[in-house]
Parts: sequence; structure tokens; C-alpha cells
Amino acid sequence: MSHYDMIVVGAGPAGLSAAVQAASHGLRVAVFDENARPGGQLFKQIHKFFGSKEHMAKTRGFNIGTALLQEARDTGVTVVLDAVAVGLYPNREVVVRAGGAVRHYKADAVVVAAGASENTVAFEGWTLPGVMGAGAAQTMMNINRVRPGKRVLMLGSGNVGLVVGFQLLQAGCELVAVADAAPRIGGYGVHAAKLARCGVPFYLSHTILRAEGTGRVTGVVISELDAQWRPKSGSEKHFDADTICLAVGLSPMNQLLRMAGCAVRENGDVLCYPFGETSVSGIYAAGDAAGIEEASSAMIGGRLAAIGAAHRLGYLDAQTLAAEQARLEGMLQSLRQGMFAPQNRGKAAQSTDEGCPLSSSLLGQGYLRDDEIANYPGCKQAKGVHPVIECTQNIPCNPCQDVCPKGCIRVGANIVALPVVDKTATCTGCGLCVAACPGQAVFLVDEDAEPGFALVTLPYEFLPIPKAGDKGTALGRGGQPVCPAEVVRCKSASAYDRTSLLTIRVPKEMGMRARFWKGGAA
Amino acid sequence: MSATDWNDRICTLGPFEPAPGDGFIVCRCVEITQGDVRRAVHDGMFTLHEVRRLLRCGMGLCQGQICGRLVRGIVAKELGVSPTALEEVTARAPMRPVEMRVFGSEEAGA
Repeated sequence: MSHYDMIVVGAGPAGLSAAVQAASHGLRVAVFDENARPGGQLFKQIHKFFGSKEHMAKTRGFNIGTALLQEARDTGVTVVLDAVAVGLYPNREVVVRAGGAVRHYKADAVVVAAGASENTVAFEGWTLPGVMGAGAAQTMMNINRVRPGKRVLMLGSGNVGLVVGFQLLQAGCELVAVADAAPRIGGYGVHAAKLARCGVPFYLSHTILRAEGTGRVTGVVISELDAQWRPKSGSEKHFDADTICLAVGLSPMNQLLRMAGCAVRENGDVLCYPFGETSVSGIYAAGDAAGIEEASSAMIGGRLAAIGAAHRLGYLDAQTLAAEQARLEGMLQSLRQGMFAPQNRGKAAQSTDEGCPLSSSLLGQGYLRDDEIANYPGCKQAKGVHPVIECTQNIPCNPCQDVCPKGCIRVGANIVALPVVDKTATCTGCGLCVAACPGQAVFLVDEDAEPGFALVTLPYEFLPIPKAGDKGTALGRGGQPVCPAEVVRCKSASAYDRTSLLTIRVPKEMGMRARFWKGGAA
Repeated sequence: MSATDWNDRICTLGPFEPAPGDGFIVCRCVEITQGDVRRAVHDGMFTLHEVRRLLRCGMGLCQGQICGRLVRGIVAKELGVSPTALEEVTARAPMRPVEMRVFGSEEAGA
């Protein structure tokens, strides 16, 4: 039986982070992953991440994955792929199926970072081909480069539903609707707004009644729910669709931990102590396997487990441990704030920490009403070119502040604060903030550009990339056509990391209304 | 029936009444319907363990990854308790299906 200092189950963000951190302290580490490629969900994440610089914010998920894999090679971590950990037995014995055999390994510390599985809901026709998890659709698009369908309905308005919904649009699918049984959009408003300005309708307090079709999905019927979550008769709406994506939550894959005898909490998650240590000494849980969160906190959780194990095994002295723990837990705390933080789940906040009213339109329809914009400190009108930051909920993110070379944008030390545009600083129109915003919520507006016309610069991540002179239609925040608009320029730069900056010319009064552009007439 | 005495074997839930959705397959691997699960509860299977042993839902290829939550929800609703009140089914190795020829082929760790 082979022996390692640490065995990690799962080569996703949490597992790889745990492995490289432990290896950096001198532990001999092996990582087993059942997939053919490492990285877990990271390589499906083509969008830019939230957070601050220390969380690798504004970096696309797959680039974070690439960096982690490089770090794993540099630190000498052994990553074994196509290797399924099928059992976790007493005294940290891990049984791994690889190829045509099972092998037994032992380790002084075991980190289970097995991730999560997608939840589902049962409705008439849900077993028809064409009904799939949103994560499955994302794998098809972003890993296998196969379009899951042509016309898609998304069930679930959490960040997974919103992010995958946008990626479906990027892949060239039509998103006929986003439906959610909850009365409020569950994910970040900025993610919802990206869909809404492309014209995607939201149906809150709605669920799927049935998928239609024989042999495969050809349509879907949704229905409004009453206060007791029962379908309201007469509220049925039909959509032609060939694909239904389910984004209705994730469940931790903690079977190995439970098999090993780790105690569980009342909600079914494994009980975790500091460093993610479970009730079984030497066994740690990290990432979604420990409790559902997102990739940035999973990476920190993995590193915390690693330093805990490194100390236990004598590779890290108490003083260094305490310093590292404080640093990592501080990073975690800065992510676990704001209206979407775990402790605020289910609370219907009415205003931001700053006292700005939360937009009910954003929570219900997915976009800010034109008359609400002035409520927020990032959306002040000014002379000349200036950023308009339509970031109106307390979410942990601050790249806009970091990238601005002129100090026009201030978030402050608390990264969930709303960005404030400083009107006294001089915006040069460099556009770094527009490209950096992971929520694509920053626009440059110049209402004095030309007599009677305003220039609006917006983040654009669709193909084909428009060219100067292209004629089209400006769309409002809700996706409705507001005026004809011509492309003035479309800038791509390596600093923008594949986000193009599309500048359109619109009548002056549309400068604060035009937020998307579509080629051709309305 | 309250959440505290839901596992009292003396109580009965009344006769099984067919309901809309009984025909939905919930466990795709073993093809168990919502009605099958509801009927099992009315037959006295008040725990997820018993339902799994009786119907084998959750014991197929996906090992309950797809149906686990659905079955839990149906059983809880039938008993009138919160889904979290039901004890999780035992996790056992192998946690993914392994062919017997592979399981029988143990090698010393490389």
C-alpha cells in the first residue's frame, strides 16, 4: 500500500488549492480525480470572477484553473486522473479505482474536495432528452463545444442559471425565458441585467408544469405559483423549446466523508471545524463537498485545510499557521458579506448597506428602471466621458476600483460596498473599468461627444465582433429597442481580456438608456 | 402527525390516494415513480433506508445522485415533516459502480 502525507480527492478549485498549498509546505501530496481532465468546474467557467485582486477577481475561471495546474506542476503534486476514490476507510485508507483495478492508499491527512452534484426537479416529461442540468449544458458548450440546443428555457435564477444562461446566448442559443419558483431573482442583479438587456424575459413565482414532446423536448409549459406554491390555473404559458436547463441548486458530494464516519449537521452537510477538519481526525472537507459556495471561497477553503494538515503533520509551526489562518480567513470573510452571503440567504433586504433602495424591478424583471438609476452612487451624470456603474447590490467585488488609473472609482476597504464615481477625478475613457467588471455593469457615457449625440461604450462578449460603421439598434436595460445606433468603434485589447468595448452613437437623450446593441433594424 | 413522532410505527397515514404526478419517474436508474415512493410510505416505510431497500431507488448507476433529493422530498411531504428531519441513507463503498472484475482485481498502491 502506497503512502502519502496527504491525499486529496478531487482536482477542482478546492482540491488543487489544498494540494499546492500543502506541497508548498513540503508535504508529499497525491490528488485523485475521476475525470479525464483536472480543474473540476473551473475550465467551464469562461466568465470573469468576482472578488478582489487577492481572489483573482476579473480573471476568467479557466485561466485560474490553468494557473493552479501550473502551480501543481511547480510544487510537484501528483495528479492522477481517471481515478475514482470509491471508498474511505478507517485510518485514512483511500480506495481508488483506476483503469481495471482498485488500489489502496494511505495518508496522514485526507482532504475530500469532491465537489457537488446538480439538483433536479421532477415534472411531466422531465426524463425526455433535452432536459438537462445547467452544469451539463455548460460542459457541452465550454468543454465539448457542442451547442446543447437552439431554444432553451432556464429554470432557476440563481447565479448558475444566470451565468449559464448568458453563456448559452454567447454560444448562439436563444434563451426563451428564465423561470424561478421564488418571487425574487436569486443571483446577482448584474448577472440578471446582462440577460435582460439582451431581451430575455424573467418569470418569477413560476415553475415548469410539463415538458412537451415525444422522443425529445419540443416545448415547455410554465405556470405561475400561488402563495402556497401551487400552480395557478389559467396562468400557463407555452414556449417552443428544444432544451430545458435546470439550475435548481447543488448538493455536496460528501458520501466519502459520511462513509468514513464524519458527523453531519442538521442540514445534512458534514460538520466542519476550523481548517475544514471533520469529526474524524485527519480528515478534512473543502469546497462544495463541505457546503455549497462558489469557486473563489472553495480555493481558500482548500488552502485552509492544507495548512491545518501541514501543522498537524509537523510541517508548519504554530506561529506561521496562525498568521496564514488569519490571512486566509480574512479573505474568506471578505467574500462572505453582502446580501448574497450565506448568513443573509432568504432575507428580503429592502436597501443596500449605504441606504440606497434595492430595485424591485431588478429583483423581479432583471433590470433597473431608467428612473431608478440616479439612486446609486456609481450612476451620476457628469460632463464629458465618465463611467456609469450600474452596480446596485452589495456584492463582494472591487476590480473597477483597482483598474482605474485615475482614481475615478472608489469601493473602499469593504469590497461589498457600492462603487462610487468621483466626479472630481478626470476620466480619460480608457475603458479598463468596463472590461474589468465581472458583472458587465460598467458603461462609459459621453453626453457631450457631438452636438445632439451621446457616445455609449458597453462591454461586448459576442461574436461576430461589430465593426465601425455597422448600423443597428440600441436596446434599453430591459432589452427593448430604444433608437437606431451606429457603431463608432469596437476596441479589443489584451488588457481587456477578450471583452470588447463597443462604442455606439445614440441621440443625446438616450445616453442614459441605451445599454446594448443589436445589428440590423429593430 | 408532528415532526417529533413521525417515526412512530403505530401511526398510520391513511390509505394511499392516487395523486397527480404519481406517474413521474423519480429514480431514472431503476425506474421508480413518484407513486411508487408514496405508496411505500403508506405501506409503512417511514425512513429513506427502508424506501431504498424496498424499491432500490438510489441503488442504480448514479447511486442516488439524481433521485436522492427527490425521494427525500416525496417521503417528507407524505409524512408531513421537513426534508431535513429524515436521516440520510448510509453511504457505502464503492461510491461509484465498479464492475466485479475490477473490484476483484486489487493491486498494491502504485
